[in-house]
Amino acid sequence: MPRYGMVIDQKRCIGCMACVVACKRENDVPEGHYRTRVVETVYGKFPNLLMEMRPELCNHCKNAPCVYNCPTGASYKREDGIVMINQKKCVGCKACLAACPYDMRFIDPKTGAAHKCTLCEHRIKEGKDPACVTTCLSKARIFGDFDDPESPVSKILAKEFVRELLPAAGTKPFVYYKGQILL
Amino acid sequence: MVEVNITGTNAITYPHLNIWDWTIGMYLFLGGLTAGVMIIASLLQLREKPITSTGDRARACSLGPILSFLMINVGMFFVFIDITRKINAFWFYLHFNPTSPMSWGAWGVGIIIPLTFIWGIASLEDKHLPFIAKWKVLVDIFHKFLLYRLVLARINLSLGIFLGIYTGILLSFFVARPLWNNALLPILFMVSGLSAGAALLIIIAKDNGEKLYLTKIDVGLIAAEIIVILLFFASQLTSTAPHVAAIAPFFTRGFYFPFWIATFLIGIFLPIAFVMDIIKISLSRTEYVKFPIFRMHLSAWFVVIGSFIIRQAFVYVGQLSSILDITNRW
Repeated sequence: MPRYGMVIDQKRCIGCMACVVACKRENDVPEGHYRTRVVETVYGKFPNLLMEMRPELCNHCKNAPCVYNCPTGASYKREDGIVMINQKKCVGCKACLAACPYDMRFIDPKTGAAHKCTLCEHRIKEGKDPACVTTCLSKARIFGDFDDPESPVSKILAKEFVRELLPAAGTKPFVYYKGQILL
Repeated sequence: MVEVNITGTNAITYPHLNIWDWTIGMYLFLGGLTAGVMIIASLLQLREKPITSTGDRARACSLGPILSFLMINVGMFFVFIDITRKINAFWFYLHFNPTSPMSWGAWGVGIIIPLTFIWGIASLEDKHLPFIAKWKVLVDIFHKFLLYRLVLARINLSLGIFLGIYTGILLSFFVARPLWNNALLPILFMVSGLSAGAALLIIIAKDNGEKLYLTKIDVGLIAAEIIVILLFFASQLTSTAPHVAAIAPFFTRGFYFPFWIATFLIGIFLPIAFVMDIIKISLSRTEYVKFPIFRMHLSAWFVVIGSFIIRQAFVYVGQLSSILDITNRW
């Protein structure tokens, strides 16, 4: 069984926001809401500045607080590791929004249900990469199967130093970051 | 210096105050109040000696149970207002997730509502029967469960403890929110619910002896509440940086002025109520029967309002912070 996830190479990210636009277009994300974002952080004082580009998305955590806090079972984890929301079961109680340490969920104003990144599972079914990965100009987003040792993401994990967001939260995310500035 | 620019910001990222609003604060307040009334009313029912000066049955025993039924229903109404897909609400009862406090709460309240209803009807007195005489079902429930009043009191005592702790557990389970993710929060909400419940029973009590007895209970609970609040802030202050930052709105003016006011009011109301109750109890040794009802009620209202402010402030302030700041997520 595959275990899908992503590695983000922060050194390559140029902050063009094409991933944000592609995600909105692909998933018809409602106005004012986003399934992915890019955080630009500038550290220091001119002229000694450091800039960090950090694309963020749902981390599809192994120990997902959104899943274990969902009262109706609408948020669930698939065998391939993708955290999904069963729209029919969602009551819009917002427990998952409060539970997510990454603030990656939102309530769709049209349907009232919680929404988030699905790693473009409809595209994965067709053998394609998620829209943000396909559209990334600098190949900063790398998608793959962590259970396949030959996949690009597994190779990166085997050889390079990677970090995850908020390890202290104990969520065990499946989105890893490499090449970030170390302060 | 750190400058952050985010493209693709959801409303919840900055500011966070978009998840739960005053309706959930109301629900938690009414849930805590119901729990307090359930626990105290059931304990008074199980107590053999009457607490009134006349030896009659206390109002807390006769009207407390039905009051708890009404309050929990109003609380659930506020939850219903808050959920964004109301038509799907039945899913709460088609699934049970043992790791979700909200799931425990939904099932728990589902059990509490019918049981408080039966207990509430069974706890009424004969003089209340004309009010329910129109509905034969209610009269039948009254006669059928009259003998099981004490059994119902025992069950509702356990359910009251469950409900009081649940209102705090609901928030403290979220690892992402450092203000809520504190093991003292359920205890704080439980104690606050108990003191507010006792205060509400003081307000509805008719007999001065009953009022005084409940005041004696409440004075201990207010003291416990003040201690737990201080311990809560102390535990936050001695915890990690996000935990320290999470309580900052309570002590900062400017943008956070409403929360500063909340701290100020809680800091004023509870000690005043405590002192007033102590004065009442010491005066009662001489001639409490003549004690003005206004002063009896004033301290009780302070406690109820204080409990309301605590719930609302915690719901809002809890959403202002995240486990780690967006500028430093590593």
